[in-house]
Amino acid sequence: MRSLKIINQVIWPPIITTVLYVFVFGLALGSRIPVVDGVSYAQFLIPGLIMLQVIDSSYGECSSSLFQGRFMNSIQELLIAPMSAYELVGGYIIGSLARSMLIAGLITVLGVVLVHSVPHDWLIYFVVIALVSVLFSALGLIFGLLADKFDHIAILTTFVITPLTFVGGVFTSARMLPRPLQTLELFNPIFYTIDAFRRSYTGQSYLAPVFSIGMVVLLTAISLGIILRLMAIGYKLRT
Amino acid sequence: MKRYGSFTAVDGISLRVESGEFFGFLGPNGAGKTTTINAIVGLARTSAGSIRIFGYDNERQWREARRLIGLSPQEFNFDRYLSLRDVLIYAAGYYGLRGKLVAERADMLLERFGLTSHAHLEYTKISGGQKRRLSLARALIHEPKLLILDEPTAGVDVELRLELWEWLQKLNAEGLTVFLTTHYLEEAEELCRRIAIVRAGRIVAEKPTEELVALGASLQDVFLELTRN
Repeated sequence: MRSLKIINQVIWPPIITTVLYVFVFGLALGSRIPVVDGVSYAQFLIPGLIMLQVIDSSYGECSSSLFQGRFMNSIQELLIAPMSAYELVGGYIIGSLARSMLIAGLITVLGVVLVHSVPHDWLIYFVVIALVSVLFSALGLIFGLLADKFDHIAILTTFVITPLTFVGGVFTSARMLPRPLQTLELFNPIFYTIDAFRRSYTGQSYLAPVFSIGMVVLLTAISLGIILRLMAIGYKLRT
Repeated sequence: MKRYGSFTAVDGISLRVESGEFFGFLGPNGAGKTTTINAIVGLARTSAGSIRIFGYDNERQWREARRLIGLSPQEFNFDRYLSLRDVLIYAAGYYGLRGKLVAERADMLLERFGLTSHAHLEYTKISGGQKRRLSLARALIHEPKLLILDEPTAGVDVELRLELWEWLQKLNAEGLTVFLTTHYLEEAEELCRRIAIVRAGRIVAEKPTEELVALGASLQDVFLELTRN
């Protein structure tokens, strides 16, 4: 509900950015690239762009909501209410998941309209979006708690998430990389999210889905464990 | 008791507020009033001792205890994106309340506090006095049995202050227990049946208002005498 009140800040920018990526990289430059993983480059790009925006919006929603709540003190309203750490974390994550699903849905429609890219495996599509959104929402909450100023929230985005996302397979298939870089990709956690999700579109992935999705489940469980513990002890929330 | 490292903010405060009472909790800045309130509502954890809200331990039975408390904090802390009506409806949601009854109660409180015509405005668009009334309405949305007011009339004009006094007296007459901190001694004298005065985290007096006033020429004299370094 809150996201819809600031729709020009949180919903339209990722959609417009995606349209630009599709036109510039997918249709203009991509027309010079041969088939990738069995589909045109523009079609290959769509699942990567969905992951890019799901990661960005999930992290942004939770980190800024929590930090703003701390900064403006509106978090107190939640802290004095009869809600457990599970309920608090669940509330933030469900809100973030709804926003991510909406953005993913809109980009999926754009993919169908602009480059005729349609998911083949809807189960993987929904499972991976949900897992990735929960993972980055939990990370957003962790950094929303750790941050002492807005700058701190941006540090993870600028120096970690965005670079790892860009080199994690949004624009390239791991198979296009030289062997040493392919090995290096396995140390990039975001690579697993994109690789797992791309399978829902192309039916192909670098790793077996059980391995890539398993890794995303593991990372999600660790992040959720950390944020639930921090919320339960009231870290930086209760004195 | 509440300690922050080597600093003791609240040192052995022990008091009992009876159900239906209008209780004043006075003290100079930094005496430990807000820390005490934070401990009651669960924003601060006590270093020692316990707090019971209508029989519920506020740490072990926090869910039951918190349901019974409504807080109107000193600083406004509304979500800036919400309308006044939504502030109340969302707040009710945090207590597990939703549906038509909540919407009706929100409308009733907006009406009671003279905010109906601003119900669909964002809180940033209303005056300080209206924000104070909204804060009170929000504290009451889940029908608490204990209303905690941290400086409820700070920065409001005389007319609104008198209006707030009238509302608070009416709420107390309806059976609501009120715990008030204020720097306006005439406010405490007018409203409270019993008053505790704290200094440096300790209670230095706790008596029915008339008895406390009778200790000096006025409540102000008594307050200054008890809290002077």
